[in-house]
Amino acid sequence: MPAIATPPKVKYQKQWERFGYAMISPSMIFLVLVTTVPLVSLLVMSCFRIDLTYPPGNGWIGLENYLEMFKDARFWYSIRLTVIYTAITVALQVVVGLGLAMAFFRGFRGQGLMRVSVLLPMILAPVVVGLAWRTLILTPEYGILDYIAILLGFGSKPWLVDPTWALISVIIIHTWQWTPFAFLVFLASLNAMPQEPLEAALLDTRTSWQRFRYIILPMLRPAIVIVLIFRTMIALRAFAAIFSATGGGPGTATEILNLYSYRVSFNSLDLGYGAALGTVLLLITVGVSMIFFRMRRASIS
Amino acid sequence: MVKQIHDRNPLKLIGIAVKSILFMLMILTWAFPVLWVILTSFKTRTDIFTVPPKIFFNPTVEHYIEAFIRTSDIAFGTSNSIVIATVTTLLTLLVAVPAGYAFSRVTFKFRSQLSFFALISQMAPPIGMIIPYFFILSRTQMLDSYSGLIAIHMTLTVPFSIWLMITYFQDLPVSLEESAAIDGASPFTTFFRVVLPTVWGGVGVTAIFAFIESWNEFLYAVVLTGSRTKTVPVAIFSFLTTEESLWGPFTATGVTIMAPVILVALFAQRQMIKGMTLGATKG
Repeated sequence: MPAIATPPKVKYQKQWERFGYAMISPSMIFLVLVTTVPLVSLLVMSCFRIDLTYPPGNGWIGLENYLEMFKDARFWYSIRLTVIYTAITVALQVVVGLGLAMAFFRGFRGQGLMRVSVLLPMILAPVVVGLAWRTLILTPEYGILDYIAILLGFGSKPWLVDPTWALISVIIIHTWQWTPFAFLVFLASLNAMPQEPLEAALLDTRTSWQRFRYIILPMLRPAIVIVLIFRTMIALRAFAAIFSATGGGPGTATEILNLYSYRVSFNSLDLGYGAALGTVLLLITVGVSMIFFRMRRASIS
Repeated sequence: MVKQIHDRNPLKLIGIAVKSILFMLMILTWAFPVLWVILTSFKTRTDIFTVPPKIFFNPTVEHYIEAFIRTSDIAFGTSNSIVIATVTTLLTLLVAVPAGYAFSRVTFKFRSQLSFFALISQMAPPIGMIIPYFFILSRTQMLDSYSGLIAIHMTLTVPFSIWLMITYFQDLPVSLEESAAIDGASPFTTFFRVVLPTVWGGVGVTAIFAFIESWNEFLYAVVLTGSRTKTVPVAIFSFLTTEESLWGPFTATGVTIMAPVILVALFAQRQMIKGMTLGATKG
């Protein structure tokens, strides 16, 4: 459990306690009604057949959706893609973010410009980002990245039409969008570090790799764990950018679990099976976050 | 840094040069796609599809006119988005700021459990939650209504707003409340008169993030809104269908969606980055 500092003791304890409850109840009641209740309904719905295209036959079917899922090749494929997509994007963000933070943490000019340009990808609408990449950046010949690829002699690439390239493209888009977060966190923690060991490290005669490996990396471990946690959680929710760039396609080439669940629920209108897929994603999220909370505790102590 | 200036070691100079190039590349990588959308929105149709791409051209606003006047969807979607994001932000602040204060400054039973509940409630995956939301809203005739989407957007904004406010309140000196208590102020008076005025900056940053979250949100909006409440991130798809690809009006609408966010980022970049990395660096 993340620790929040114990508040200071005050006089009139009872009066303050009542005040505390009054202050938190609107948000807590809201969250129970609009998050917890639907969450329970999700679990219940996953045990129903709710096919809106053919309502007769809808009703309680127990765990049948889950049994069907077990045999569903498209489901297993989407799980595989989710793992690949999450692992690669998160790893790239940490490595690139760390590299850039190391290069730039000791004062440089143009900080304001840097801040704005790295902030933008994270706060712009993922839909606009996905659509802009699909059109202005990755369109063969007219897209700017494809144009650069041709200029550099790599030739035009089937960015979004070829299954493998499409997966690479959505990974590039996500990495582009979120590496700034890792970069900024690493930059902030490098700047917040006690400067003496850092200065000492820079003066000593070891190679810069050893310096990085044995002095800077251990100091950065809590920050790395935090970035892993935040970014994995976000990668597991990835939807809008992929939806707008490829729609999950071509075929099922970029159909991570989120896209598959969406297509089942709102294209095929099979809400029961969609709910079962959503429940699996919930379980994955909970499982991953439990592992992370352990790691975090270990990284602090 | 002064040392470096006197250091005429050629290797160092090369290092500085490499670093500067890397720095420019980094800025270009992240800023250019955004700039390119903006530039494209002012190009004529022929200029858009010119190879090599044109950096200098005669600007035109035809695509904005096309997007906003000839198709009714975008203007309507923009006004829907403004209503939904504004109301979401206000209601979020109304419930999250008090909760953030109580969690950071008042002792009561189940305090840490409840704050943990607020934290994990944002981990519920939207792709799962959308199914019960769709089901419940269609049963209660609330599909395609402002109130339905606003309530659901608040499930995204309230948890992180509470946690952001907790970090801002924890930064305040306790002497604030102590001196108010000596004056015999009640908790409510202390909160409204003494504490709140000192955290307007934090409230502002929280409001910015809540607004952006709702303004950009797509999954819930595409499923739960229809012709009456469609937001602009949903409406923008109408220019890029399988039949046609209207880059001009698409980029004009894209700029409309990005404009408020870019403006805020220009003025509040420092505070926003601090807010974003606060939870991560303080832990």
